[in-house]
Amino acid sequence: MEVVLALFVLMLSLVLAGVSFIAYKKSHLRPALYLLVAFLLLAIKKGVELLQLTQRIEKDVGLVIGGLEVIFLLLFVLALWRR
Amino acid sequence: MERRNEILNLITKKPGITFRGLARELGIGIGDLQYHLRKLEKEGAVFSRKIGKRRYIFPKGFEEEAQRLIIAISTESRRRILLLLMNGPLSQKEISEALGLSQPTVSYHVGELQKLGIITAEGRGRSVIYSLNYDPETIARIIMEYRPSVWEGLADSLIDFLSGVGDGE
Repeated sequence: MEVVLALFVLMLSLVLAGVSFIAYKKSHLRPALYLLVAFLLLAIKKGVELLQLTQRIEKDVGLVIGGLEVIFLLLFVLALWRR
Repeated sequence: MERRNEILNLITKKPGITFRGLARELGIGIGDLQYHLRKLEKEGAVFSRKIGKRRYIFPKGFEEEAQRLIIAISTESRRRILLLLMNGPLSQKEISEALGLSQPTVSYHVGELQKLGIITAEGRGRSVIYSLNYDPETIARIIMEYRPSVWEGLADSLIDFLSGVGDGE
């Protein structure tokens, strides 16, 4: 069940990255670019978690996941920052 | 040959007409029309651009104009603003109220349309009045035929959201 949920989050992140990409292509709005990178990072994070969940990675990836989470949130804040 | 000239004349008269529109107005069969259009494209007399789910056909020499139009109608809010301005010049506040969009979102979109030269802005007292600066018939024809994909619809909502939040750069 955990793997199914992780796969779902991974797919949703990629869909959102795709939507952000179309939005950026149409508008060249910088926040859309931040969101695109943020959702791609989220997908990578979920991918790493999935690999660990299926025991394809045995190393401790806590730091990598934590780092990706921080960058994801920072990019999100940056995208929503009112200038 | 006469049929091909007829097709070319209609495309020249109505730039941005769709394949379906051409077939309907000329009463030509799809296979026949496809054949003549392929020939015309090969000769360089016409060219086509896919916007949303439809393919629009333009006459030769319309390349730059077509690009401007494609960008101008690429988001739902811009299409709505253009259709609204067809009824007459309006201020940013009036556009915002009529379409239920935030003023920063309207400001972003009218700015983009102004850059493209599709609309013009004129200062009247304290407010700026926007009016259409392009053939309304062509704009209406392209907008009416436009069918965005689900993804484009989602991206348009995201653009409106972000343009209402950020600075639009």
